[in-house]
Amino acid sequence: MRMRTIKPWWVIAAFLSGLAFAMWAEELVLSTQEGHLEFAAPRVHFLVGKPLERLRNASEVPFVFKITLWSGTRTHILREVPARFVVSYDLWEEKFSVTKLVTPRRTARHLTDNAAEAWCLQEMSQDVTGISANEPLWARLEIRAEDTKESGLPFGRGNITDSGINLTSLIEIFSRPAATTQPHWTIETGPVTLDELRRGRRRG
Amino acid sequence: MRTLLLIGIFAVVLPIACAPFPDGPLDTEETGPTNVNARLIVESVQILGQSSAKLSDPLRSELGQFAGKNFDQPLLERLADRIKQELHAPDVRMHVVKGDMPDHVIVNFEIGVEREKRFDLDLARFLYHSKQGWSGQGHATVNIHENAFSFGMVSDGDRLNERYAGIQAGFERRHVGTDRLQLRFDFASYHEQWNEATLAEAAPGDIYRTRTQFSPTATIVILEPLVVSFGVDFARYRLSLPVAKTESSNAVVSTLRYHQRWGSAGDEGEHDIRASYSVRAGTHFLESDPVFARHEATARYRFRRRHQDLSIGFLAGKISGLAPLFERFVLGNAETLRGWNKFDLDPLGASHLVHGSIDYVYRGFLVFYDTGAVWDRSEDREQKQSLGLGCKKSGFQLAVAFPVRTGVVSPVFYAGMNF
Repeated sequence: MRMRTIKPWWVIAAFLSGLAFAMWAEELVLSTQEGHLEFAAPRVHFLVGKPLERLRNASEVPFVFKITLWSGTRTHILREVPARFVVSYDLWEEKFSVTKLVTPRRTARHLTDNAAEAWCLQEMSQDVTGISANEPLWARLEIRAEDTKESGLPFGRGNITDSGINLTSLIEIFSRPAATTQPHWTIETGPVTLDELRRGRRRG
Repeated sequence: MRTLLLIGIFAVVLPIACAPFPDGPLDTEETGPTNVNARLIVESVQILGQSSAKLSDPLRSELGQFAGKNFDQPLLERLADRIKQELHAPDVRMHVVKGDMPDHVIVNFEIGVEREKRFDLDLARFLYHSKQGWSGQGHATVNIHENAFSFGMVSDGDRLNERYAGIQAGFERRHVGTDRLQLRFDFASYHEQWNEATLAEAAPGDIYRTRTQFSPTATIVILEPLVVSFGVDFARYRLSLPVAKTESSNAVVSTLRYHQRWGSAGDEGEHDIRASYSVRAGTHFLESDPVFARHEATARYRFRRRHQDLSIGFLAGKISGLAPLFERFVLGNAETLRGWNKFDLDPLGASHLVHGSIDYVYRGFLVFYDTGAVWDRSEDREQKQSLGLGCKKSGFQLAVAFPVRTGVVSPVFYAGMNF
């Protein structure tokens, strides 16, 4: 009986494709600076597709960001921090503007698309003073584009006409998939310790 | 030396002052609009699409007012919604493009082509009245190439002095050669239930158990605000006599309608006037058993401004001859003399009617005043009044009404939509 052997070039091809996938995979990059944990996601672009289409049509597009940090074990949530950003695109300057909806508001203007995305992530940095340098940390970043027009109310405008409630419109609303149609991105990283980050080690 | 120093300062300061805006984040703290395009000026607003010509004058003038103002996305989106609502368009998209002048934009509203809804369901009326119980009406419509076939069910204890329940069917052709001509055929078959008060007052030959109606009508748009409908209404009803007997009430029907709007719902205010006059004449020429002429005139003026909504209504009618009970006038329901019980006012309905009402709504809070009278003989004419309050929003209404009279105060409660 003849034994089948795996040819070496298959192994090399699998390794190279794995490496390429890992290189191009979306990654959340952590770093520390002056007691703050900072986030970067160079391969994640949320100013694309439908949101970008709306922006180029002079509309503003709200984005909801959420950072989740786990410490010690993956079951212990240390912190969950949501934030809301409103992005708009100047039709004449062809530059982006981003406003973080906090009090008082913070706005950055005249940005390229990449700079606008980076500014949002920069605004999500977290104070990590008091966290042990050797404690393992996990981080997750969630980004969701919101549609300002869809209220989601069953009796929204246009469903009640002069001739009464239009049941067909209501059926259409209830049949529409809810949040799945919203553009959204989720990336994670960890475990990593603050010590490792300070030493300059990056995890993807 | 001083000159050199000054030149040095200028050499440093001038390039900084003249340098282009930096291409990077500029953190600021402000409370202005979040959309950077709010600084741009609207050069013009245009409407694109086949049905754009049907847009009302108030809305068209409102669109024109945006030119020269700053770009306001939420306000323009609300306007797109109003265009959609007014034209019954499936979709109205707003496209914003650079204008001819710097820092100006052109706003285009694109009206989507109406996709004919093959099947449609409508809950046309739904009401609970504390004296008259539940009333409801619903329709299913199938559209095939501009022909609408509808089938519906109704049970109504509010509009007439009888409760009629049964089926309704109809065919409508919305364009007959031209947009100005419509054809409609309606069929209805009802079973009647009568209140004790009506049975006590009525003659045996007045009460019927079933009623079937067939009504072909044509509608012509004479001039844009003026519309005339004419046709015939064939009704057959089976009397509640020991010996079953069926009678016919066949009438020539004609209605003239007027509807005009002007102004805008913003600061200026929107005015809306609707008026109609209809005549139904039961004649031997159509082999009708009762011979009568029923005249009815209605008028309603409505003024809307921001959160305020004022409505003044008028209704008058007269029947000469002997009309069947379903043709007679009723006051004291969810639309007229709210707070009064129709069976207390005239359990058989009347041959004469005058009614006026004032409704005022502020942010959904409703107050109203009704006054009117129904009578057969002029000596029986007695003016009644009622007051009420409640809430009204998007076709829904919930209110409590009080008849103005001495003695026991018995309020009437009603809730529902589209009545």
